[in-house]
Amino acid sequence: MAKPQQDVEIVNPPNLLQVKIGGPISAGDLHLIEKAEDAIKDLRSDFGTWLEEEVQKLEEAAAEVKAEGLKGKAGETLFIRAHDLRGVGSTYEFPIITRLAKSLTKLIDLDEKREKAPRALALAHVNAIRAALSQNIRDTNDAVAAALAEELETQSAAFAEPWKDD
Amino acid sequence: MTEQTQDDYGISRQRVLVVDDNAALRGLLRVSLNAFGVAKVTDVDGVDRALAQLRQDPYDIVLTDWKKMRPRSGFDLLRELRDPQRTPAPGVKVVMLTAYDDAERITMARAAGANGFLVKPFTAASLSQTLREVITDERNFIQTETFLGPDRRSRDRSLDGPMTIAR
Repeated sequence: MAKPQQDVEIVNPPNLLQVKIGGPISAGDLHLIEKAEDAIKDLRSDFGTWLEEEVQKLEEAAAEVKAEGLKGKAGETLFIRAHDLRGVGSTYEFPIITRLAKSLTKLIDLDEKREKAPRALALAHVNAIRAALSQNIRDTNDAVAAALAEELETQSAAFAEPWKDD
Repeated sequence: MTEQTQDDYGISRQRVLVVDDNAALRGLLRVSLNAFGVAKVTDVDGVDRALAQLRQDPYDIVLTDWKKMRPRSGFDLLRELRDPQRTPAPGVKVVMLTAYDDAERITMARAAGANGFLVKPFTAASLSQTLREVITDERNFIQTETFLGPDRRSRDRSLDGPMTIAR
């Protein structure tokens, strides 16, 4: 039997500016994007400090994990910190940190994963992120960094494989 | 080129509320939005402050991080904004910011009433693209007993809204 239909009221949200325009990026948009990029560049001198703060938070979480393991709050906090770094690494001009943090989040993004994930592998990601920042290695142009990132990603992906379609 | 032709879709009239617990990211979003010329940018560090701000002042767009910002997540905020019994801002558009770009998450955001989805790390270009799509989103808002938000049906592709991934 067909499900009875719920009453629906169509309302218009305020301040809708429904002006359709052609093309994905107009010249006007490009101008505004350039303005924003310039404004962001003005903050570049702060990027290192901000990233350092984020990595320190990651390391604090990693210290808890070292002491208590990945289960429970320590593991969850490490995941949250890694997730934050994944979101900001490239913005702060360290795409390799986004890449490493992404691999770490893949390893520990679920409770069930954190119960089984190798602690040493999680901590190796943290060490690699610290090394990248300390040695100013920003991307995978550095051969050693590229090999390390690839190895960590491979191990993380292999561990996460059973959860792939969840 | 005049400012008028640059603002061919009304970005300069938008009032945007940014919700993220990362102060530096809020700062980056703020300077970008100011460079785009939006009318008003306010940023807060959590869901409760966002709701208080929305009760106090009108906004057109909420740009919120998805994740848990202790104690509540950006996704909780989206659900509250789309609950006709609880929303302090009926009709506000919501963009979810997240480091994840999997299809499941996009579907989840759309089903919960998000208008847009911005993947972190964001760029000025991806932010601009997302805002343009959200501002020009032509979907009607619908109201049922349990939902007040953009029409989530996909019967007509032309009304299907701009839920795309901007990188």
